[in-house]
Amino acid sequence: MNTQKNAKEILLILSLTLLSTLIFAQAGDSLLPSSKLKKLSLEELMNIEVTSVSMQPEKLTEVASAIQVITHEDIQRSSVLTLPDALQLAPNLQIAQANSHNFLITARGFGGLPSANGDLSNKLLVMIDGRSVYSPLFGGVFWNVQNLMLEDLDRIEVVSGPGGTLWGANAVNGVINIESKSAKETQGIYVSQETGMTSALQNITEMRYGGMIGDNLYYRIYGQYFDQQRSSPSDSVNRNNMAQGGFRMDYYPSKANTLNLQGDIYSGIQNDLSNLTLSTGQNLMGHLTHIFSEKSNLTIKLYADFTTYQVGNSSKPQIYDESTYDIDIKYRLPLGLRQSILMGAGYSYIQDMTNIQSLNPESLPMPVASGFIQDEITCIPDLLKLTIGSKLLHNVFTGYEVQPSARLALTLRKSHTIWASVSRAVRTPSRFDVDVTEASGQSLSPNGFVSEKVNAYELGYRMRPIENLSLSFAAFFNQYTDLESINSDTSKLTPVIIGNGLDAESWGFEFTGNYQANPWWRLRGGYTLFEKNVWSTNSSVLPVISVNAFEGLAPENQFIIQSIMDLPKNMSFDLTGRYVGELNATAPTVSTPAYFTLDARLAKHFKHLELSIIGQNLLAPEYLETGIYPIPRSVYGRITFRF
Amino acid sequence: MPNFKTIRQRSLSVLMLIICSLAILSAQSPDPREYQIKAAFLFNFTQFVEWPATCFSTDKSPFIIGILGENPFGSYLEDMVNGEKVNGHPLVVQHFKTLEEIKICHVLFINLPQTSKLEQVIANLKGRNILTVSDMTDFLQEGGILRFFKKNNKIQFRINPEASKKTNLIISSKLLRLAEICLNCQTPNE
Repeated sequence: MNTQKNAKEILLILSLTLLSTLIFAQAGDSLLPSSKLKKLSLEELMNIEVTSVSMQPEKLTEVASAIQVITHEDIQRSSVLTLPDALQLAPNLQIAQANSHNFLITARGFGGLPSANGDLSNKLLVMIDGRSVYSPLFGGVFWNVQNLMLEDLDRIEVVSGPGGTLWGANAVNGVINIESKSAKETQGIYVSQETGMTSALQNITEMRYGGMIGDNLYYRIYGQYFDQQRSSPSDSVNRNNMAQGGFRMDYYPSKANTLNLQGDIYSGIQNDLSNLTLSTGQNLMGHLTHIFSEKSNLTIKLYADFTTYQVGNSSKPQIYDESTYDIDIKYRLPLGLRQSILMGAGYSYIQDMTNIQSLNPESLPMPVASGFIQDEITCIPDLLKLTIGSKLLHNVFTGYEVQPSARLALTLRKSHTIWASVSRAVRTPSRFDVDVTEASGQSLSPNGFVSEKVNAYELGYRMRPIENLSLSFAAFFNQYTDLESINSDTSKLTPVIIGNGLDAESWGFEFTGNYQANPWWRLRGGYTLFEKNVWSTNSSVLPVISVNAFEGLAPENQFIIQSIMDLPKNMSFDLTGRYVGELNATAPTVSTPAYFTLDARLAKHFKHLELSIIGQNLLAPEYLETGIYPIPRSVYGRITFRF
Repeated sequence: MPNFKTIRQRSLSVLMLIICSLAILSAQSPDPREYQIKAAFLFNFTQFVEWPATCFSTDKSPFIIGILGENPFGSYLEDMVNGEKVNGHPLVVQHFKTLEEIKICHVLFINLPQTSKLEQVIANLKGRNILTVSDMTDFLQEGGILRFFKKNNKIQFRINPEASKKTNLIISSKLLRLAEICLNCQTPNE
């Protein structure tokens, strides 16, 4: 009896051992496709980590949050032409394209009315190399002026869920962090021309030269031109011509120090409702990083950013001008053996100036001072990690705001991480919320406007069951208070005012995956489920227009799948399919039907030359994303020269 | 009442399982990725080094990447160079067990046991236009040209410029810039 039992156990041990051998054997088999490797430059080869990704120390943000990373390769191997196009590859973002250059982009809903072209989408923090690009005018992003060379882009990190503790105000529903490559990684000549062949939205010309001075100073300069057309014959107004240029320098004076300086300048004309909008902007930014040790470093960031919008071609155009000066310091240091402290302080001086009559005062300084501290505590090494922190910021509209968060990550066998988090974030008011007046000069927000707040609860699971498959699952429950509303006020000429009269709850989940089926074929994609419930907190709220206008319409279901395939004879064939569910509106707002679109790309590579055909929205002649102007099927030819 | 004997046996088996797993994990051979990346480097080097025209009998004669000793690359190197050319010369991989087998060779990856007499091997290759590459420690000190090493989990390489001069190979400035230059790697006296 006893021997039988022992025999059973031995058998069990043996079979489990065999199983684990199989699993570990697979884990070692982390091969990269040869066809891909041999296209890499020496610099790129020198930057590949020898051990596979799952074994690397992950970034803090990756451990316990719903982060998705769009890599340079994901973008290169898609039909993406512009930066907002590239964001469509993130399964955890909701995007509706209004025309060739305007987009509504949000995460976890609340993107505002689609027909507002994203101008009411104000709960996302967007940064390009650490420079915040959302406008203090309305808390959203003017996507038509956010351009960069996709060739020189390193990665886009999209965090859905609050990021207020680390990043600051506006990171209520998510953070988009766009990182460009260093000048060291972008050496040589790059020239690319994209030309529309059928009912295309745009032609894009791009050029870059990267070189070096001495042994440790690298630079690049670039220029690009966008000639963007209206999206349909019914749209007589939305054309956009934009020219942009810039530079980046990376200096490595010693192993411990890196210094980086970069800047961009752009100018564009948008033809909008018979008014010409002239957009111009300049920015200059410097980063200094000093590494004290593997666990301790200091980063100082400084930037200045200027944008001007000039609307109307009359003799007295309306002007909105904003200037930002920003300094940020971040310091990481270990505390004992098991704690890593990250702390930072920042000061941002924003001032705008306008002659738009409905904005009062005409010029407003909006300084923001902030500080944060975060402690990453390794409770049990390699198993349990707790991250707690908070940001404190001061702004002119609401004074002090606190944004704490706590995150717990349980890592099992390095390839399975279960995480949970609780966090609070705020959207501080924008000029649009507090300073709009009606014709009589009366304020539209006479009772003031407080920050919109969210308490978010998240639970996630990241796993890499086998080396070539990674999966991520994140569920969320958000409780919003003091959301923007339109209230009735019959004492006024225009009988409405702006208030904080809505509360809401939203919940859902995001599921994403990446699968290297074999060396020449990779699949990535994701699915998002989103539900929300918005209600008024007082009887003066006009619920229908408030909810539609400010909290917007979000699809209940959406998914994306991207196939990246290498073909023989140096060819590649890539497909992206995207489904977005119905944007269901209450009358008088119109609903937008569900759609599925397919993009394709076929490319042939020569030594220095790449020829490609790119198709967007191939399944239908045209379809609606925001309910106003349709987006057409379009085909582009692209010639790229790299030397 | 719980059966303590069963519980003890169970915990024992779990413990054994953990030990077995750890043993397997630690016994893993070096990640094959490492040699895949090194194969890509070898392929890349052919683009950044100039060989004298006398190294090729005709315009179409092959460009040979040789491996002396045990082959750590599996089939990656063959995969990598398959169909590729260097200035019109088709790339070919050849495996050599001994020095004597090497007739024509342009790049030679040397992977001999650490105990073997590297100095003699390199001395025997003297005067031939061969880019010698290896992982072996002391490779540059013994007169080899290029050695791979790992830093921060990334593959880097070091070049002995003195040794390369003697082979009449022209190493491009780009390659030299990316390499660590070994200044005290004097070639052994002749």
